[in-house]
Amino acid sequence: MATNTLTTNSKFTWGGGKSPFSVSYGKLMMWIFLLSDAFTFSSLLIAYGFIRYSFLEPIRNTIVKPFNHLSHEFVKEMGDVGLFVKDHWPSPELVFNHFPFVHGMHLPLFFVSLMTFILIFSSVTMVLAVEAGHRMAKDEVSKYMFLTIIGGAAFLGCQAWEWTTFIGEGATLHGNPFGPTSFAALFFIVTGFHGFHVFSGVMLNIIIYFNVLDGTYQKRGHYEMVEKVGLYWHFVDLVWVFVFTFFYLI
Amino acid sequence: MEHTEHLEHTETPSDMKSQIWKTFWILLAFTVVDIVLYFVLLSTHAMWKNWVFIILGVVKAYYIVGVFMHMKFEKKALMYTIVLPMVFVIFFVALMLIEGDFTNVLRWLK
Repeated sequence: MATNTLTTNSKFTWGGGKSPFSVSYGKLMMWIFLLSDAFTFSSLLIAYGFIRYSFLEPIRNTIVKPFNHLSHEFVKEMGDVGLFVKDHWPSPELVFNHFPFVHGMHLPLFFVSLMTFILIFSSVTMVLAVEAGHRMAKDEVSKYMFLTIIGGAAFLGCQAWEWTTFIGEGATLHGNPFGPTSFAALFFIVTGFHGFHVFSGVMLNIIIYFNVLDGTYQKRGHYEMVEKVGLYWHFVDLVWVFVFTFFYLI
Repeated sequence: MEHTEHLEHTETPSDMKSQIWKTFWILLAFTVVDIVLYFVLLSTHAMWKNWVFIILGVVKAYYIVGVFMHMKFEKKALMYTIVLPMVFVIFFVALMLIEGDFTNVLRWLK
């Protein structure tokens, strides 16, 4: 808690005495930025909801069960049996059903669940880095920051693989074999925007990681910079919770 | 030092580490529930099903923002400053879903 703020006022970034929110200027600004970013993502997800709601419900699949055999012509066959049509939104389990190194098997949502676990886990390592920062434990902070970077990079790798598979099946911004044109377009825009946030987060984490190794924050006397990138990183995880809900579950 | 920013912060609880792991298991459990429910309800056509997933998402958001982002331990003023504006989003969702319904009708009228 601030007690001597007024006496050494000129040194501090936050003028005008005690901070009304008991957080530093930088952290408050990070929160305000995250709020505005939350609005941006909300708008994208609402646009998704609006467009999706303007099409008919997905036709429920009663043919393909999990672990079923998948043929090479799967997407075409689904079109032939009337599960992928222009008027109906496609059921996500029939679109996102691939897993790396497992060929020819219907594994709905397995891969995206793995991505979700990776991101949750990297959020945990991030918050452990913040916790270690409170104790001024430099080695622990750097260890957990490193694990967070690995988690973020793993998530990005997964997303690159998923996009490659999706594009390989014929999805573009202006058309796809699964159903309405906007289905793939929205997928690329929203997961792309989220992926770009993850990428920026990984870059920020790398910068902070090197600063930690350099002892910048040890000299400064606090690890608040780790907390700030931590806030951003958790926000990216938070957005993924909703992207996961709206794009894959609903 | 150019960065002699004064550090003001709310206190972190002493059992933070156990709280972090508890939150991790909660988030993991809710995600597993999400996935299990998806398959259990696969052949169900109903609006309440969407709400189940949305509510599960909001619960997960509560734990991420509350514990991971430390919001539970911040001052109430900061919490309301950040959380209350999200009410506008709920309003926006409602408006756009109504609009989406009209667009649906127009699409099949042509």
